[in-house]
Amino acid sequence: MSGIRWAYAINQWKPQFDDFVRREQHERALKTMSIAGFEGVELTYGTGRWEPLGNPRQLAANFGSVAGFREFLHSCAVDAVSSWYWDPAERSMEELTGPLSPLTEADVPAIVARASRLAEALAALGGSVLLVRPVPGAGDVEPLDDDALDRVAACWEAAGRATAEHGIRLALHVDFLSALRRDHVPSLLDRTDPALVGLALDTGELTAGGIDPLAVIERMGDRIWHVQFKDALAVDDAEEYLQPHAHWTVRVRGGAREVRWFAEPGAEGGLVDFPAVTRALVDAGYSGWIVVESDQSPHPAASALLAGYLVQRELRPLVGSAAPEGVS
Amino acid sequence: MSAVTEDERAIKWSYMDHWRSNGPTGPVDQWHSHKTMSAFLKQIKATGFDAIDTFDFRIWQMYGDYGGPAKYQEMVRDHGLERIVNTFHAADYDVRNYAPHLPETHANILEDFRVTMGRWSEIELDNIIVMPATLFYDMEPITEDKLKYSAECWNKVGEITAGFGVKLTCHHEFFCGIQSEPDIETFYSYTDPRYVSLFVDTAQHCIAGLDPVALYDRHAHRVSGFHFKDTRNVATGDDHRHRPDSEIMAPTTGKWFYEMGTPHGLVDFEAMMTAVRDNGYRGWISVEHDKANKEGGDYSESTAISRWYAKNVLEEIYR
Repeated sequence: MSGIRWAYAINQWKPQFDDFVRREQHERALKTMSIAGFEGVELTYGTGRWEPLGNPRQLAANFGSVAGFREFLHSCAVDAVSSWYWDPAERSMEELTGPLSPLTEADVPAIVARASRLAEALAALGGSVLLVRPVPGAGDVEPLDDDALDRVAACWEAAGRATAEHGIRLALHVDFLSALRRDHVPSLLDRTDPALVGLALDTGELTAGGIDPLAVIERMGDRIWHVQFKDALAVDDAEEYLQPHAHWTVRVRGGAREVRWFAEPGAEGGLVDFPAVTRALVDAGYSGWIVVESDQSPHPAASALLAGYLVQRELRPLVGSAAPEGVS
Repeated sequence: MSAVTEDERAIKWSYMDHWRSNGPTGPVDQWHSHKTMSAFLKQIKATGFDAIDTFDFRIWQMYGDYGGPAKYQEMVRDHGLERIVNTFHAADYDVRNYAPHLPETHANILEDFRVTMGRWSEIELDNIIVMPATLFYDMEPITEDKLKYSAECWNKVGEITAGFGVKLTCHHEFFCGIQSEPDIETFYSYTDPRYVSLFVDTAQHCIAGLDPVALYDRHAHRVSGFHFKDTRNVATGDDHRHRPDSEIMAPTTGKWFYEMGTPHGLVDFEAMMTAVRDNGYRGWISVEHDKANKEGGDYSESTAISRWYAKNVLEEIYR
């Protein structure tokens, strides 16, 4: 029996900032995840009053307290928030801060403090991993030299130390637009204490970036602290990730081809071999959450159910993890 | 409630298929292709349903696209579902040739069922479900004679279906000619319990102003299945006899039916499940939310919410 647990990411339900703000919408999404066999939910950091699930202050504003949100989760038969994804470049309306950068030493104290607060809430919500975007996009910063990598490593090591005080691990989530995409991940990880900083493996992001997730597991399996299963429908083989502001022009718009990059595991045209990745994770001794996601979906409930079918019928049997009660 | 093993379960859950799938050009019927059918079956299985129900008219797609009901059922089973439990005979009622209250049309109806049951005979069904009357406005005024002729028709049909090992069971739409409490009682008083069963649709009875739990309790001995679905409206005025259609064209609402577990639902499912338990029912409960996609609804989500409710609320009462 492995220590793998399955969660689903909430982000596919919120395509625009003014979507998915009402309690009944959250309830239906969480119940959908639950009945599809997922025990946990991964949240995405957000700010402001239209991000009720975006940060601890908004949880408190909407559910009375962080504990009140956990009660709400339980009322939907979802056990825990598995993890929280946070990009420090996202501003905070609650704390009146703009984008923070791990490359800027003056920002590090604020990053560490924010990571600590998210970790504290995450611990109260039954979670275990804070995912961070470790560096900005490749088109938005100068190429990372040794000095830059040293600064980034120091920042996340300090943040990892702060989250560890709450029992929460800090994992670097490297996306396909990342300045780390060009072989910098090992260089960064080698600069960090393996007890404080780990890696989040996102199958879709790696594949869209032209990187084989199986190779990453083979090379860095002992540093993987978190896994996200999403499928990639296209590869950025034109290196559009090097463009400035690629978040909008490449990720959201789909680049020059206007492709849909990501979908739930098992989607038609998907490039990721999920049984192979699952077996590789088991062989590497991975224990922790696997968060299934689509990032964005035209039909979120269908995506969650189709992914649930794949997990229940094909992937869960490979890891030997127990199904939640009532899921066969 | 203590843990119940798979073999000990008194209740299994079937999904009545009204689905619509998402295609690149917009909504499509899930029978559109094997791919869309597979996606439908995967979602039904993922939520924990045990089986599906279907419509009679699907048999043409089963023969045309899959090689017949048995071959189609193999696909259902390949997706981890047990089988097809019930089929709904959606007849084209017409006072000229197909109206249970008009004896001169009975021969046509009986022949229809002889042919229909033959088509289905390669698989094992529990029920063939019928609306037992024409549309309300084609039967009114509802008289005792008309109810009696209807009962006689279904007695004969039930005898035919019983010969194929399938129960004939009546599903009383709020807009059909036999939908009020006194008319339902009169109708069953003329039917033979060996050949005619009752299929309780919680929403339809609720819309018609009946208490589905009380109706079930009165007829529990001859209830052969359920559609568990919810509604937010009771029919008013002429909703039940609205021309040309009540089901999606009545003035009160464009969406009568909701999935179980919806907010503001009028059906007391906990009382219903308690009654199912207390009457010692064992077998299938079908979940339905026809027209779930009306007014912005989504079949996948409605399926998830209804099965969530069955698992997390109703199975705590009885399973």
